[in-house]
Amino acid sequence: MTQLIWNGLFVGSFYALIALGYSMVYGIIKLLNFAHGDIYMVGAFIGFAVLSSVGVIPASMSITALLIVLLLTMIITGGIGVGIEYLAYRPLRNSPRLAVLITAVGASFTLEYGVSAIAGPNPKVFPVRLEGESFDFLGARISAPQIVLMVIAVVLMLSLNSYIQRTSMGRAMRAIALDPKGALLMGVNVNKIITWTFFIGSALAGAAGVMAGAYYGKIDFLMGFIIGLKAFTAAVIGGIGNIKGAMLGGLLLGLLEAFGSQWLGGQWRDVFTFGVLIAFLTLKPTGLLGERVTERV
Amino acid sequence: MSYFTHQDSVIYLTVAAVTVFVRRVFGLHVVTSKEMQTMKLRIPKVFAVGAVAAAMLATTGCGGILGGGGDKTADSGPIKIAAVIPMSGSSAPTGVYMKNGMQLAVNEINAKGGVLGRQLALDLEDGACDPTQAAAAANKAVSNGAVISVGGYCSGATLPTLPIFSKANIPMIIPAANSQDLVNQKLPNVFLINGTGVQQAAAAVKFMVKDGMKTVALVDDNTSYSKDIAAETKKDLASEGSVKTALATSVTAGESDYSSVVHDIMGAKPDMVYWTGYYQEGGLIINQLKAAGYQGKIMVADGSVDPSLVTIAGAANAEGVLATMTQTPDTIKGAETWIADYTKAFGAAPGPYSTQSYDAVRVAAEAMKQAKSTDGDAVTKALTAIDGFQIFSGPLKFTPEHTLSNGGFQILAVQGGKFVLKDTLN
Repeated sequence: MTQLIWNGLFVGSFYALIALGYSMVYGIIKLLNFAHGDIYMVGAFIGFAVLSSVGVIPASMSITALLIVLLLTMIITGGIGVGIEYLAYRPLRNSPRLAVLITAVGASFTLEYGVSAIAGPNPKVFPVRLEGESFDFLGARISAPQIVLMVIAVVLMLSLNSYIQRTSMGRAMRAIALDPKGALLMGVNVNKIITWTFFIGSALAGAAGVMAGAYYGKIDFLMGFIIGLKAFTAAVIGGIGNIKGAMLGGLLLGLLEAFGSQWLGGQWRDVFTFGVLIAFLTLKPTGLLGERVTERV
Repeated sequence: MSYFTHQDSVIYLTVAAVTVFVRRVFGLHVVTSKEMQTMKLRIPKVFAVGAVAAAMLATTGCGGILGGGGDKTADSGPIKIAAVIPMSGSSAPTGVYMKNGMQLAVNEINAKGGVLGRQLALDLEDGACDPTQAAAAANKAVSNGAVISVGGYCSGATLPTLPIFSKANIPMIIPAANSQDLVNQKLPNVFLINGTGVQQAAAAVKFMVKDGMKTVALVDDNTSYSKDIAAETKKDLASEGSVKTALATSVTAGESDYSSVVHDIMGAKPDMVYWTGYYQEGGLIINQLKAAGYQGKIMVADGSVDPSLVTIAGAANAEGVLATMTQTPDTIKGAETWIADYTKAFGAAPGPYSTQSYDAVRVAAEAMKQAKSTDGDAVTKALTAIDGFQIFSGPLKFTPEHTLSNGGFQILAVQGGKFVLKDTLN
């Protein structure tokens, strides 16, 4: 039981990190950024490229090295996210929603097959793998790397939350989410804030990519697809557009999967998880923490 | 760091290409939200093609895809051999092994003067492991003037190509796809040179009994190939009686975290876990099983027999992992020169299905030689009559069902990071 909860929370923290990017972007420009899962994949590949080019890293240094690579990757994936927004989404900002949705799908495939063309379609094995002692905690088997990754994820999420709540940039983001025109009239530089939102969301996804690469050991160019869908689901469960909702939704999705698999068997896990999702959204379409949006006239 | 040399330009170009494409194609349409719902389902395919083409143009500057055309008469010029294999999508890595295997055989045969005095030419078409795309690829190959087909990796994508080649009276020698569904079509022109799922399951059960297992857990990845083996194994175990199926479960391919299935396995405490899916997930599952403290044996099916399984799982974790597999270059005595030739020609070592693909071309050439013609009926007849032609799995003779008379499955084990022969099951 505790093992299930721990497994669920651990996977859920990955979902949550990626779901944040979906939710932030949706909250601000009402765009489902389907390329977001692939930013996670690109992050893993950048981490891979950086670590491979450095050469052999002694095991004792692996966590320090990982943190440095994590930061570097976050900056680069953040930049890529900004680039995608600038090239593929900004020119279409006033076009029909469908057009932007489709460029998002296009950007997703572009990233996937771009990476496949550059790095090759074969799966790669991460040069650094976090390995450490496992120990029992209330009947659950927990390993040291899992704790490290959980701590990194929680720190990232908490700092994002205080950033959104406490800083003027965060306030501007919330203002645009509420009313983009109003924010513009009040002197908020909307383009700058949107760029910054993409940067933060993509940086978080990139961080999740490096963490997944270092923990699970295998990366490939399609690794962002399924987790992207799951993170999107997590964002919807939590109430898309809501930052705390995305975190909560990610953890909840992880727990649902762990328990669904235990109760009904692996082949029914996704049926159970997404069945719950459908039932949940039927009863509460705005998600856990989402607010009902009334159309302003 | 040459790794990312072209990244900026490629990403810029492809994003730009896609943007333009979207503006041109979709910009002027007014679409209702209902239509949008239905379109969502179709969009990815359009874009898969668009993005792949854009990416290819951006990196290579020319399109192999755009070539072709030309000579369509069947009686002069090179003999066209069609191969619908995955060259994009998640199965693309195996497609490369297959392509190289085929090319090696074509090169060797052409160097010896070809077949019937004509050279062989491969017509590679991307099936992407996707039924729709594979059917389109097969149609394209037929219209390009192919006289024989040697492709077929994913069973699900190979199935719809059967009636297309059959209608055009083109014999098919399928090197890798091996679902019972293909056999059940009972088409006279279809031949399988990989062991089938039924044969693989029988080999797995034979070894489990021999090895004294009491309980096993069967884990598949929900694909037709994988479920086929798991279901047959479960059936065989039930009729055999001495080995119990403690757990039969599935995972979703393409994820990274398999802790839930690991948890289920730890709860069931089997003597052996039999994974019937592919190596990417297989490596992760082995790694996560060991990290969870699993002590029993692990066996994998032929889709997982790949050097990457060991690197993904970690060398220490993979040590001792068993596998049911048809013969590979590494387990065939005297294949060293073949491996050397392959490595020299393509600058990379052969992988899964390189040998079967190589053999498919050789069998095709042999059949045309025997038939003294490239006519579909004559070649099919020659294939049916073939007896004792040496391929990697042994002397070739097809059963009335057009499968190998002997699946040739044996048991491999990982030793020192490599799959080596453990038990021939004879």
